[in-house]
Amino acid sequence: MSVAARRPRRAMNSPIAYFFVLPALVIFFVFTIAPTLYTAFISLFNWNPLNISQSKFIGLSNYKNAFAGQANPSFWDTAKTSAYFVVAMVVLGPLLALLIALLLQRGGRLMSAARTATFLPNVTPLVATSLVWMWIFNGQFGLANQVLKVFGIGGPNWLESNTWAMPVVIFVSLWHELGFIAIIILGGLTTMSSELSEAAKVDGCNVFQEFIHITLPQLRPVMFFVVVISTISSLQAFTQFYTMTQGNFGTSTLSYEIYYQAFVVYHTGYAAALAIVLLVITAVLSILQFVLNRTRD
Amino acid sequence: MSNNTTRRRSVKLLTAVAALGLVGVTAACGSTGSGGSSGGGGTKAGSNGGGKTTITFMEAMSSGALKPAMQAQVAAFEKKNPNIVVNLEPYADYGTLTAKLKAATSAGDPPTLAQVYSSDAAAFASSKVIMPLDSFPNEASTASTFYKGIQNDLKLSDGKTWMWPFAKSTVIMYYNTAMLKSAGQPVPTTWDQFATVAKAVSTKGVTAISIDPGSSSAPAGGTAWFEILCQANGTPAWTADGKPQFDSPAAVKALTYLVDLKKAGALAIGSNYPGQIALGAQKGAFDISSVASYYYNSAAVGKKFVMGTAALPTGPSGPANQLAGGNVVMFAKASKAQQDAAWKFLSFMTTPAQQAAWSTASGYLPVTSQALPLMSSFLKSHPYQKFAAESLEWAQDTPPYASVSETQGDLALGLQAALGNGKDPAAALKTAQANAMKHMNGAQ
Repeated sequence: MSVAARRPRRAMNSPIAYFFVLPALVIFFVFTIAPTLYTAFISLFNWNPLNISQSKFIGLSNYKNAFAGQANPSFWDTAKTSAYFVVAMVVLGPLLALLIALLLQRGGRLMSAARTATFLPNVTPLVATSLVWMWIFNGQFGLANQVLKVFGIGGPNWLESNTWAMPVVIFVSLWHELGFIAIIILGGLTTMSSELSEAAKVDGCNVFQEFIHITLPQLRPVMFFVVVISTISSLQAFTQFYTMTQGNFGTSTLSYEIYYQAFVVYHTGYAAALAIVLLVITAVLSILQFVLNRTRD
Repeated sequence: MSNNTTRRRSVKLLTAVAALGLVGVTAACGSTGSGGSSGGGGTKAGSNGGGKTTITFMEAMSSGALKPAMQAQVAAFEKKNPNIVVNLEPYADYGTLTAKLKAATSAGDPPTLAQVYSSDAAAFASSKVIMPLDSFPNEASTASTFYKGIQNDLKLSDGKTWMWPFAKSTVIMYYNTAMLKSAGQPVPTTWDQFATVAKAVSTKGVTAISIDPGSSSAPAGGTAWFEILCQANGTPAWTADGKPQFDSPAAVKALTYLVDLKKAGALAIGSNYPGQIALGAQKGAFDISSVASYYYNSAAVGKKFVMGTAALPTGPSGPANQLAGGNVVMFAKASKAQQDAAWKFLSFMTTPAQQAAWSTASGYLPVTSQALPLMSSFLKSHPYQKFAAESLEWAQDTPPYASVSETQGDLALGLQAALGNGKDPAAALKTAQANAMKHMNGAQ
């Protein structure tokens, strides 16, 4: 007992331990911490990326401009667009994935093949599949409208419409992400204790009651994890917007706007300020979710 | 005691490994490696062994006939100049090229030469990372042989020559000859006539013309056509000093013209070269596009019908056209040897013989009329090259100001709002103008 307690303490006191974690720390610092600090530094400047010596210190002006909504689209517009996307992904994603996972829970060869098929979209490169979906939703020549035409419905210009562009991007994002989330939930389902379910059945629980009172509470840690990673990945989503809409027709999210400001119009300082704001939003939302989860516990 | 010994050993071990690591890192930093720069004044390539000078050229000639055409130009130059090596760095499109170029420049590792638009050249010049070309031998005399529109396109607002012509094109009209014939319609020569013909042929699933206005980050051909219409109506989309005038009566008239075509079912908007796709699929009668699209349009059409080409129709203020394609700039960080080698390469590329070879292989226009007699057989099979090249005399590029590319994005959004989402043309252009002025005034 005492030996077991002493070992970790000795390991932590040894300089060799730090030596072993040093490579990981160096990589983390060089590729994550240092760029973040540098981004925060740039956000205080009217930054000229082509000639840094021409950059001027302007304090918090980039942040003031963002919150004053002076850009076009404004920070608040892009934040609303991000919220639209994040809410849709975080609500629909885990919900649909849970349904899929429950369906795939049963064994058998067919289900095994179905699991693979469900996961398959997630291993495809998003940029490539976004291009394919872009053509499927092409207003003039796309498959979607050809199918609708069979039923006598004239489809819209999906990706050139303020009404439809975002729902299409959400649909494609869900198609890509659902498999991954479903597999995580499926993992949670398979590790659950069957004793509670059996006891509930003995006590006369129907399938719905068993799901609500037995399955779902046990799945809470997994669902919490899924919600957190869905929130973070949705806030950072970029590829599908870049490929399918280029931030037009009401799809200019905060992430896309950072790219646009940084790499299209080269307002690097302003883009850095937006990146820091996005970092803070992501951190706050994640912490909030952790706190809420802990409070429930 | 034993603990102390272990700790001392550990510290020694750590120190030794850290020292070794430091030596390794220092050695790595000091080494240029096989792909590093050497003596090139910090640019991507410099003087390599054997007295050869290496220059790097970032460009967007990466697809279709363009890549081999570019490689042939370089091969011909290197044959004539065995002491110079030209390393081509082709990128998929202008957007990618610009992003990569700016990233390389930002990292202090620019190429020797790069293909750019004039608005980007203005940003590079004001950041003092490119150099004017006026001081190079025979610059003025060579430039004087170019078409007037090309000559004007090489200068920035300070009057100095900062760019050299490269892949130049103007916009022409492609059409389905069979479709026009069966509808009993002539090849339109005015924009009013174009509207009449477009409406007449838009039946049985055909939409006469499909355009892509593009996006705020990448305005496309539809926006260029609108800008030409503004010019044809008497007021360009920008003043000569780069101020947007998107809500001028000429601009409102131009957008109303496009919206009317759409309402009549004669115009559709799409993305990814929709005019070319529709023309090839026999779902469109026209494509308004640059001469550089010729090979791509021909491939899309195949043997389905004979594709006609004609000069753009004219407007109330006469003919109007826009220069497309990029110029080349030289980076100031290049060594003197690289600058001289790069200038030799640029001069070589614009000799009449090379221009004839380049135009024949790539489909871009020769920048000097002296090349036309050298490509007579090509002109017989590609008659559009002659009238398109001649339009280089008066065609205009967008004004060379850094703000133009950003305000052009505002314009593209305005066109999308009117053509894609049914907003009133005057209101859409008013919003585009307001947003553009916001960008102009540096509100961000």
